[in-house]
Amino acid sequence: MSEKMSTYPIRRVIEHSPGLKSFYFYQDFDAVPGQFIELWIPGVDEKPFSISDLSDGLLEISVKAVGPFTERIMSCDLGDYLGVRGPFGRGFKIVDNALLVGGGIGAAPLRFLARVLAREEKEFVFLVGAKSKEDVIFSRELSKYRFYCTTEDGSFGRPGLVTEEMERIMAKDSFACIYASGPEAMLIRVMEMAEARSVPFQISFERYMKCGIGLCGQCCMDGSGIRLCVDGPVLTQDAVRGITEIGLPHRDATGCRPRPT
Amino acid sequence: MTERQTDIEIEFLHMRLCSPLVLASGVLGLSSSSLKRVADAGAGAVTTKSCGLEPRAGYVGPSIIPVSHGMLNAVGLSNPGVKEMVREVADYRARCRTPIFVSIFGGTVEEFGDVAEAVAQAEPDLIELNVSCPNVYSEFGSPFGADIDATAAITRRVKQRVGAIPISVKLTANCLSIGQTAKVCEQEGADALTAINTIGPGMLIDLNVRKPVLSNLCGGLSGPAILPVAVRAVWEISREVSIPIIGTGGVTTAEDALQMILAGATAVGIGSGIYYQGLEIFDKVNEGVQRFLQEKGLGSLDEIRGTAHE
Ligand SMILES: Cc1cc2nc3c(=O)[nH]c(=O)nc-3n(C[C@H](O)[C@H](O)[C@H](O)COP(=O)(O)OP(=O)(O)OC[C@H]3O[C@@H](n4cnc5c(N)ncnc54)[C@H](O)[C@@H]3O)c2cc1C
Ligand SMILES: Cc1cc2nc3c(=O)[nH]c(=O)nc-3n(C[C@H](O)[C@H](O)[C@H](O)COP(=O)(O)O)c2cc1C
Repeated sequence: MSEKMSTYPIRRVIEHSPGLKSFYFYQDFDAVPGQFIELWIPGVDEKPFSISDLSDGLLEISVKAVGPFTERIMSCDLGDYLGVRGPFGRGFKIVDNALLVGGGIGAAPLRFLARVLAREEKEFVFLVGAKSKEDVIFSRELSKYRFYCTTEDGSFGRPGLVTEEMERIMAKDSFACIYASGPEAMLIRVMEMAEARSVPFQISFERYMKCGIGLCGQCCMDGSGIRLCVDGPVLTQDAVRGITEIGLPHRDATGCRPRPT
Repeated sequence: MTERQTDIEIEFLHMRLCSPLVLASGVLGLSSSSLKRVADAGAGAVTTKSCGLEPRAGYVGPSIIPVSHGMLNAVGLSNPGVKEMVREVADYRARCRTPIFVSIFGGTVEEFGDVAEAVAQAEPDLIELNVSCPNVYSEFGSPFGADIDATAAITRRVKQRVGAIPISVKLTANCLSIGQTAKVCEQEGADALTAINTIGPGMLIDLNVRKPVLSNLCGGLSGPAILPVAVRAVWEISREVSIPIIGTGGVTTAEDALQMILAGATAVGIGSGIYYQGLEIFDKVNEGVQRFLQEKGLGSLDEIRGTAHE
C-alpha cells in the first residue's frame, strides 16, 4: 500500500460508451472491493475513484465523465503516466447470500466485489440500475451471475427504478446482506428497505475528498464526525446511524455545505 | 466516557486542559463534528482550520502528499469562510466542553482585524493568528511571519479588536530569529504563541512525469522530519518570553511531546501525527506522558516545563 505518489502508465483503455471508460494500470498493491484510489492527472487535479477490479496486479478503474477532471481523463491514452495513490479506506466485508445494488457508475466497486464473491463461491444477486442503456456498465460480464438490470428510459432491462426492482426481489428472496453504491437518493431508499426487513447493509458513500489519508477533514461526516476516506467509504448501518447529514447537499471544496435558499 | 487522568492536566491561560495535547490547525478542523471527535479522542483543546473572510476552495490536488519522514501540503488555505466557521464553533460549543481555538488568516493587517472581530462573536477560547502559512506566496506574498514588523502590526490590531479573548500568534521557523519575533508579539499583547507552522516549503518531483507533484509545485513540510526544528524553535522562544507556548511540529510520540515541554512548551500541538498514529495518537501520547511522570515520581508537567534550559 502506498499513500505516497507513484505514477504508472495506462496499460489498457476500454470504452463502454461515450463518456464511460475503464483504465488499467499494473500495480503492486493489494486491495479489497470498496476501497478507492486517488488518481492524479499531472497538471490537472487529483480525484477519488473506486477500484472496479484488481487481479494479478492489474488495477481497473471505471470513470464516468461528469465534469472537468473526468472529461479530461477521457482523452488519456495508452502509455500516459497517471498518479495512483492508495488503496484507501475500508471496503466491503464478504458475506454469503447477498444482494448487490448499484446505481449508474456506482456499479463499479460492486463489480470488483462480485468477482471476489464469485471466486470465493458465495451466492449473490446483482442488481444494476441506470438512466439509459449507455450507462449500464459490465452488463455482458455480469450476465453470467444472477443479474437484473433496470433503466429509467426502458432502453435496457426492465423499465423503472432500481429500487423498484429491489422491492420485487426482496419480496421473493431473503438476503444476509445488502451491498449498495450509487446516488445518495437511491442509497436512502435502499437503506429504508433493508431496515424494514432487518437486513444488514454495507454501503459505499461519496463525499468531497482531498487527502485520502484522514487529515484534511474535508470528508468528515456531520454527527459522529467520522472521516469517510479512512473510516469509509463503505459504511454499515451502525456507522450510518451516527451520521446526521445523509441526504443533505454535500460540503464542497471550501468545506461549506450549500444551504437551501 | 472514561474518566481522564488528572496528572497530565495543565493550566493554559485561564483554562484547565485535561491534556497538554492540542489539535493543530488545518487537520480535521473544518466542522464541529470532526473537532468534537478529536476532542473525544483525548485532545485537551482543538484548533479549527484557519479561516478567512470569504470561503476558499484552495488549490486543486494533489495538495497533501506523504513523503519520506514527513508530509508536504499546499492546501491553499481552503476554508468555509468566517461566517460558516462561527456557526460551526457555536455548534461545537453546544455539544462539547473541550476548549476550542479558532485559527484565522488575512491578506492584510486590517483584514486580520476584520476576521478576528467576526470570529470573536463565537467566543472561542482563543484566537490563533496564522501569520505563517508558507503556501499562498503568489497571492499574499511571503508570510507575514517572516516579517517581524508585519507580525507585530497584526498582533496589535487583532488585540484591539477582540476584547478579552486571548490570542496566540502562530510563528514560522522560516525567519531570522523566532525568539525575537516571539518577544515582539508578547510586547504587542499576544497571550500565547504557537510554534511552529510547516517549514520549507519543500518539493517532490515525480520521475516518470518529471514534474513537481503538488499542484502548487511546493508545499509546507510537517511530520517527524521537522520535530528537531520545532523543539529548537520552542527552546528559543521560551528564552525570550514568559507567555505560554503551544509547541507544534512533528510530534508523534510521548517522548516527542515531552521534549517540547522540556524545551519550554506549555501545550503540545499535534497535526500530521494523526496520519502516522491515527486518532489514537491522543490517548497513546497522553498515556505515555502519564507513565513518564509516574516513573520519574513527578506530580505534573509543571515540574519539568522548560527544565532543559537549567
Ligand atoms: C470514494 C469515492 C469513489 C468514487 N468512485 C468513482 C468511480 O468509480 N467512478 C467515477 O466515475 N466516479 C467516482 N467517484 C466520483 C468522482 O470522484 C467524481 O466524479 C470526480 O471527482 C468529479 O470531478 P470532475 O472534475 O470531473 O467534476 P466536478 O464538476 O468537479 O464534480 C462533479 C461531481 O463530482 C463531485 N466531486 C468533485 N470533486 C470531488 C472530489 N475531490 N471528491 C469527491 N467528489 C468530488 C462533485 O461534488 C460533483 O458532485 C468517486 C468518489 C468518491 C468519493
Ligand atoms: C494538511 C495540513 C494543513 C494545515 N493547515 C494549516 C492551517 O490552515 N493553518 C495553520 O496555522 N497551520 C496549518 N498547518 C500546520 C499545522 O498546524 C502544524 O503547524 C504543522 O503541520 C506542524 O505540525 P505537525 O508536524 O504536527 O503537523 C497545516 C498542516 C497540515 C499537515
